[in-house]
Amino acid sequence: MSMLRFHYHMEIAFSEPVWDHVYTLKCLPKTSEHQEILECSYTISPANKIQEGMDSFGNRMLYGTAEERQSLFLVDVTGRAKMREGDSGYGNEDISLYRYHTSLTRPEERILELLADCRERTAQIPKARVYDRACVYMGIVRESLAYQKGITTINTTAEEALALRGGVCQDYAQLLIALCREDKIPARYVVGMLKGEGESHAWTEVYDNGRWVGLDPTNNVVVEQSHIKISHGRDYRDCSINRGVFRGQADQRQRIRVEVAEEAVRIL
Amino acid sequence: MGIISIENLDRLYWLGRYSERVYTSARLFATSFDRMIDMNLDDYAQFCALLDIPNIYRSREEFCGRYIVDEQDPNSIYSNLMRAYDNAVELRNEIGSEPITYIQLSVYDMKKSKLLSAPIVGLQKVIDNILAFWGIVDDMIESENVRNIIKTGKRIERLDLYGRLQVDRTSIAREVHRLAGRIQRTNLHYDREKIEELNRLVEEDEIDYDRIVELADGVRTD
Amino acid sequence: MQELKLTKQAETVNELLARYGVKFGIYKNNTFQEQLFPFDTIPRVIGKADFAYLERGLKQRVTALNCFIKDIYGEKKIIRDRVVPEEFVYISSGFLAPCDGVVPPKGIYAHIAGIDLVQGKDGEWYVLEDNLRVPSGASYPMIARELCRRSSPETFEANHVEDNRDYTRLLRRTMDHANTGGHTVILTPGRYNAAYFEHSYLAEKTGAHLVTGNELMVENDYLYFVDYSGKKEKVGVIYRRISDEYLDPMTFREESMIGIPHIFDVYRKGHVALINAPGNGVADDKGIYYFVPKMIRYYLDEEPVLQNAPTYLPFYEEDMKYVLAHFDDLVLKDVAEAGGYGVVFANKMTAQEKEDFIALLKKEPRRFIAQEVIDFMDIDILEGGVRTPRKADLRAFVLMADEPLVWKSGLTRFSRNPDSFIVNSSQGGGFKDTWVLSQ
Repeated sequence: MSMLRFHYHMEIAFSEPVWDHVYTLKCLPKTSEHQEILECSYTISPANKIQEGMDSFGNRMLYGTAEERQSLFLVDVTGRAKMREGDSGYGNEDISLYRYHTSLTRPEERILELLADCRERTAQIPKARVYDRACVYMGIVRESLAYQKGITTINTTAEEALALRGGVCQDYAQLLIALCREDKIPARYVVGMLKGEGESHAWTEVYDNGRWVGLDPTNNVVVEQSHIKISHGRDYRDCSINRGVFRGQADQRQRIRVEVAEEAVRIL
Repeated sequence: MGIISIENLDRLYWLGRYSERVYTSARLFATSFDRMIDMNLDDYAQFCALLDIPNIYRSREEFCGRYIVDEQDPNSIYSNLMRAYDNAVELRNEIGSEPITYIQLSVYDMKKSKLLSAPIVGLQKVIDNILAFWGIVDDMIESENVRNIIKTGKRIERLDLYGRLQVDRTSIAREVHRLAGRIQRTNLHYDREKIEELNRLVEEDEIDYDRIVELADGVRTD
Repeated sequence: MQELKLTKQAETVNELLARYGVKFGIYKNNTFQEQLFPFDTIPRVIGKADFAYLERGLKQRVTALNCFIKDIYGEKKIIRDRVVPEEFVYISSGFLAPCDGVVPPKGIYAHIAGIDLVQGKDGEWYVLEDNLRVPSGASYPMIARELCRRSSPETFEANHVEDNRDYTRLLRRTMDHANTGGHTVILTPGRYNAAYFEHSYLAEKTGAHLVTGNELMVENDYLYFVDYSGKKEKVGVIYRRISDEYLDPMTFREESMIGIPHIFDVYRKGHVALINAPGNGVADDKGIYYFVPKMIRYYLDEEPVLQNAPTYLPFYEEDMKYVLAHFDDLVLKDVAEAGGYGVVFANKMTAQEKEDFIALLKKEPRRFIAQEVIDFMDIDILEGGVRTPRKADLRAFVLMADEPLVWKSGLTRFSRNPDSFIVNSSQGGGFKDTWVLSQ
């Protein structure tokens, strides 16, 4: 068990003032067996009437409209999470939703070829469970891509990232999803925060033996106590942290800063 | 129905304006056309100058054809009629199917007049249908507010045209009074001072027509 | 049937239709044009008893389809019980994950269903397609009837025909039933939509407000209509004529300019009814169509009254064998396409096309259905004053209010091209009135 303190900060700078900014944010972590959210508070600026809701994947949402003119949109979320071993799903979920490809994960030639390699390797493991197989795939994803910013976009498919042999955490996560789904393992995309300082992070969850387990292919590690999950979905698009439309002509620049640090736990 | 969106408020107003523009310019054209038959071959140049539209026509024949029915010419009667139509078609909900039919019929008549050797005969049918449209607006539209907005558009347009044509004092004074009476019965936002100034202008010895045109276009403030 | 007096008034009726601007929009070379929808005065006539049979079948079908959609976005029993394979649901482009778990007001998903039927030469009716998203067309026979009655009153004195103008009442009742408390609006993508005439006509007739997306706004989890003075009026039901993916840029297509941001969140909380519910596409998918008779048995424990056209799913090995063996006799349909597109008759393919198609079919069996070509009963139209037979279908409308209501009429569309089986207006067809006899 460990106790983590987190601070999630997002800012969108508009090159010109905008107004009637309508937004939906998926930026609040939720309690599961794997993480208990003990405290969680948020501030959004410009302040306005904000609604809370839940999407069909079970993720928490904040949404509203900032009518006044603004050039800077700020979101801050802070809280504490108690991390444990256990299912990172929310219970009573539709697993089949995560068995089928989306346009971002649909495999073509390259992924199918890679999957053949995967199968060859897992064939050597006696009595390989889903989890064991997925861990091998994670290693292969890690070998197949080089971490490199700027060569992929939010619309890059897993197949395209593999062709480029590189990408960022989104591409790693989606490639692992593509391999798993093609191999009949339910798999989904996760957005969250990683211990330390940096940007938001993305990884994969696979469904094994009645529970969801996180695998982080970018770092080639099994998700244990340093990953706080914010949301999950079929692919990147279901988990956009921020969606918004506004009036006015402006370019927007989004910056995200995440800080997650371990809190000294007093042992009684 | 009581509630009107800002988009439809605008459409009602412009339906009034464009239907009037078609009506008055068609009538005016008929008068000029008559003069052009036996004299004043270049009367159309003056016509264009009066209405403040570019004289892009090379001959009387071309003017008579294009000014009426050329859909490419943004100043043609046809183009103005299509603008009235575009507004009308989106107002079925506010004014009902029956009134719209008359605008629709004027469009058909206009298209037919293209094929006539004397388009001015076809133009008469357009005028008839516009008159019928105004009649049915009065007769069938239940909402007084809706009727008044259309009529305000019509009054403003007429004042604008009469100002450009520099019509006599009696005629223009009458239009100013009709507008002043009508606009206060709508919930359009308008500039009271401009209405008062219009009232004063038509009493002065020398009528400042340019100012009248300017005021007509600026009287509505939303 | 003896010649109707009405057919002598064909010109009058069409002139009146023109006068009332009964048109549909079409894009040609990227410019918008309005076209008159050609009307043929010879009606399709359905006897009282025949229609009673259709009515029974249509109510049954749409009730089962509603059960199906509710189940799919809820418990998914039909999948668990292996009546419908789950891949047909999850891969369907009509299945919208954001709708999962969302229960619409009164639990109704398909409020307005347009069921396309044809009558075979044997007299048997077959359902060709269910349209549960934004089926259009009811306004055309309504106004045509109005104008036919005006043009030839004798015809309607001599024949006892159910008055189809009460579609207005059925629609109003359906909207009122779904209403969560507030104004009734019809949402149109705007003037340049193919069915704009219909949107504006139905709004006029039902007394609903016709609005575009920018006249509506969401505030504090409710939907409002904003009037010119800025006053906000709460909306309780929205008959939307824009497709799911453009409905809400915050949930569906982000670039949609005609939608209303956050309307889906308001809907999710039960604060506004959407007619039809988003996500219905999962049930009118051409692949799911195959399963409708099974749904009727599964949910209602009844035998289907109306038949499907004989359909094969190449997804099933056995069906694939049949399709390959009888390829030339079949019509193949791409499940993702609509509006008469993606439909190919095998006997019209060249040898090369056939080969390519079969390769594609083997590669993506889930993508196609194959159907026997039904020999439709022809209906006469008047062409140059002469009766000429043409292929025609019937779109019947079923509305779900506190009970299912079947409109006693329908849109009969015919193909103008004598060789064509495709009757869609977007492909140049015309329409007829549909008479349901009251005696």
